[in-house]
Amino acid sequence: MIKRIRFHGRGGQGMKTASRIVGTASFLEGFFAQDSPLYGAERRGAPMVAFTRLSKETILERGIIVSPDINMIADETLLGDKSANVLQGTWEGTITIINTHYPASHVKDTHGIVGEIVTLDITEIALNVIGEPVLSSAAAAVVCKLTGVITKSSLENAVIKELSSLNLKKETIQKNVQAALTCFDRIPEAHPRYRKPIKEAVNDEIVKLEYANPRIGTPSVYAKETTKLKKTGNWRLFRPVIDHEKCSRCRTCFVYCPHSCISIDEGDYPQIDYNNCKGCLTCFYECPKKVISKDREVKAW
Amino acid sequence: MVKEMLTGNYAAAWGARLSEVDYVPAFPITPQTEIIETLSQWINDGEMNAKFTNMDSEHSMITAAGTASATGARVFAATSSQGLLYGYEMLYNVTGWRVPLVLVNVSRGLSAPITLEPDHNDVLSARDSGFIQIHAETCQEVLDTILMAYRIAEDERVLLPVLINMDGFYLSFTRESVEIPDKDAVSRFLPEYNPKHAFFKASNPMSQGVAVLGGSVYSYFKYQVHLASLNALTVHNEVAVDFKRIFGRSYSAIEAFRMDDADYVIIMSNSFAVKGKSAVNKFREMGLKVGLLRLRLIRPFPYKELRRLLSGKRAVAVIDQNISPGAGGILFNYITTALYHEPDRPEAILSFIGGLGGKDISHTEFNHIVGEMGKSIEIGVVPETQLLYTKGDLEQINNLLNIAGKTSEGVERLRN
Repeated sequence: MIKRIRFHGRGGQGMKTASRIVGTASFLEGFFAQDSPLYGAERRGAPMVAFTRLSKETILERGIIVSPDINMIADETLLGDKSANVLQGTWEGTITIINTHYPASHVKDTHGIVGEIVTLDITEIALNVIGEPVLSSAAAAVVCKLTGVITKSSLENAVIKELSSLNLKKETIQKNVQAALTCFDRIPEAHPRYRKPIKEAVNDEIVKLEYANPRIGTPSVYAKETTKLKKTGNWRLFRPVIDHEKCSRCRTCFVYCPHSCISIDEGDYPQIDYNNCKGCLTCFYECPKKVISKDREVKAW
Repeated sequence: MVKEMLTGNYAAAWGARLSEVDYVPAFPITPQTEIIETLSQWINDGEMNAKFTNMDSEHSMITAAGTASATGARVFAATSSQGLLYGYEMLYNVTGWRVPLVLVNVSRGLSAPITLEPDHNDVLSARDSGFIQIHAETCQEVLDTILMAYRIAEDERVLLPVLINMDGFYLSFTRESVEIPDKDAVSRFLPEYNPKHAFFKASNPMSQGVAVLGGSVYSYFKYQVHLASLNALTVHNEVAVDFKRIFGRSYSAIEAFRMDDADYVIIMSNSFAVKGKSAVNKFREMGLKVGLLRLRLIRPFPYKELRRLLSGKRAVAVIDQNISPGAGGILFNYITTALYHEPDRPEAILSFIGGLGGKDISHTEFNHIVGEMGKSIEIGVVPETQLLYTKGDLEQINNLLNIAGKTSEGVERLRN
């Protein structure tokens, strides 16, 4: 028996920690366990992936999980990001968990997801119980329950162990435990169909690389303005909204916006570029008149 | 003795801590930084009694490590990839000083293009420096090898620095169950460093690494380094016996996996060897007699042991996770050298390049390798070095080339 779990999220959401909580819970449960994150530049908001394996026997695998048994997608906007490839290798036996406001059937149809789907608004639970959009403990709890082999007490001990190693306050850890246990109870008992055998890797074939014209075969980029193709607006958890009636046109928000997403219109009013505003809320905190409000974003696509 | 979920980096830090090192000169680089962060935390918290110094570069770091070791201190340092290359000049210097420090390299592909994931061009570039080189497969092996490394390095028959390699991400950031040995057991295994050839005493000055003019003088000292390295073969095996007696885990210069009745042998190194072992198990289930060798000791190179293990086998496939442009795989050459004078040598020795920049080696690749070994024997022709690259990989790069504007259109635009 081996279970392969993949976690997708954005830097800062807590998916590395989630993979570690599940790893530690498995270890405490007596399994062979292995967890590892994979990321490029360690940048907040950038897509990242983490893996946990648990097994009754020594694990003869390392690194990426191409075909997961459980696939946790902690940020639904990643479903629309081709390069994040969050559905890679999922099959009829995969349980895909999506942190979303939408019902499972809607997500399944929109993205053509195969296999079992479980949806839960983990962000909402984290905001309500912990008060911050940190998803590690809650996401780990959902995964632990769906493995069908990790008990509530191992989950609780793992949350405490992992968060203590991050030097968090006792109170914060307690809230995380509460969020985890809430999620654990919210997810139904693992059904036998959750325990299908592992699918063999799809057979690919070896190809021979030929010498390429150096205009192709060198690591340079010819396309212009490729960053424009990446809209970062769907990273937002909260949408800053300026009340132009009360705005004094002081330009504080314009100056403070770290991503240059606020411009000044012809009437001298600040306007937010919602295609790219990441929802960092710097403007919300800096506005001296307090005329910027924040609305929770629940529809990501 | 306690078991914990540890990353390879954390296990390396434990290795240094249990070895009671005196001095840690440090310079950060991903994916190594967690090692020195952990050590600096422990030293700051008083859990470790050592001196920690942030240096201005890896060049200074290796210099400081070597000079401190020459005063009789036990020294530990860690680096990766570009960092190792930045300190390259000093690698040869410290081996010439015959100082028994331990340096951990966390493998990462060399720039350009820049990446963070592993292959072994970084560590293998140091293969001629005189460092003893040991490559690890698991997080446990990283910790254990550091303890063994000080025993080997500080032996009077060796007195050379040791370079230990672990793969970035695949070990450095991967947690798995690691047994942390008891302090008492470690002190029974690894006695205090008590140098007789190089130590600092104000009342008794000595010069290190002096200038020599004249080839006969230079040759004498250089060859001493070679002989010392060769001695490390015996010393490694003695130390391994002791290690097994005290800690129960056994390590050899080359790990043999399902080799007893194997006809076909795959040779790998480092953490990707686990993928090879898994493939071997699958081949065995199909009734194919495939085995695997994992090269652990890279310097000194275990020629004799390799000959013993490969004699009488039908075919061998070497997977080099490195590339020497214009030549091929680096380790392939040492393996063919080892077998040339063996009368019962395998009929075919094949060369593959795989896992560059951390590219996965999947069962597709292993199937291909075993197929190619069979074909080589059947038709009596051995293919040239092959890159393990799949149709799926090609689709991925073509997709990215498109996004990067490296299409005929994009190229045309550039021309105008």
